[in-house]
Amino acid sequence: MKRMPRKPRRQLTYDDSILPLINVVFLLLIFFMVVGKLSANDPFEVIPPQSISDGEAAQQDLTIAVGAEGELALSGKLVTEEELVAAVKAAEQGEFRIRADSRASAATVVALIDTLRSNGVASVRLLTVPSMGGDN
Amino acid sequence: MLAALDTSRPFGREPRKRLKISLTPLIDVVFILLVFFMLASSFLDWRSIQVSSAGQPGAPSGVEGSLLIDLRSDGVRLAGETLTLEALGERVGARMQAKPDQRILIRPASGVDMQRMVTLLDTLSNAGAQDIALMPTR
Repeated sequence: MKRMPRKPRRQLTYDDSILPLINVVFLLLIFFMVVGKLSANDPFEVIPPQSISDGEAAQQDLTIAVGAEGELALSGKLVTEEELVAAVKAAEQGEFRIRADSRASAATVVALIDTLRSNGVASVRLLTVPSMGGDN
Repeated sequence: MLAALDTSRPFGREPRKRLKISLTPLIDVVFILLVFFMLASSFLDWRSIQVSSAGQPGAPSGVEGSLLIDLRSDGVRLAGETLTLEALGERVGARMQAKPDQRILIRPASGVDMQRMVTLLDTLSNAGAQDIALMPTR
């Protein structure tokens, strides 16, 4: 069988060779924009406790972070306990989330929750992550 | 006259060359955005546990009639008896069968970390406990 005469191929330009790369990079960009959640980073490392609970983590509540050594941070800013109480009193919001490190002392966190409740906070939620299966 | 209607070559000039826009600056910007979103976004799947605190004006307060669980570094104590988490779950489950609205107070001792308390909360809610409150050590 005789082959069809091939069309003379157009010279590939630099842009043509880079288009697939741009396609992939755009897809990655859109993936990270849609799937990831932007959030304020805590000034210290927080390893959240693992739990099987499946409660919703409301995004709009103010978040208090408690570090492993009992450090406190409100919305990503390091605060002392007095500053925290003052900020909680000033905030109109009655709902708070506590992102406590899994190594933090439970007594400290419970005392903090008690302080929050006695300063007019209506609802406190403890943030956890689902356990990664197996050991914990 | 016909030549005047021909608009493909106004004024008889050569057709303009298509302007080439280089893609390199675009890729630079897109890469920077990509790196930003990769570093700034978090992929942790956050869950939450609603907690209440004992002795609140609003909450049904009082230790009377509620099950007090002491969480210590060496185990869990219920009514003066040290139990494992599994045994505690069974006990609380049996209690919940008899009295579904049983209030449970958890009092963590110092030196207990949050992971253990969250595990205890999980055990209790698995056993059917609805009304769990945290009690600060005085």
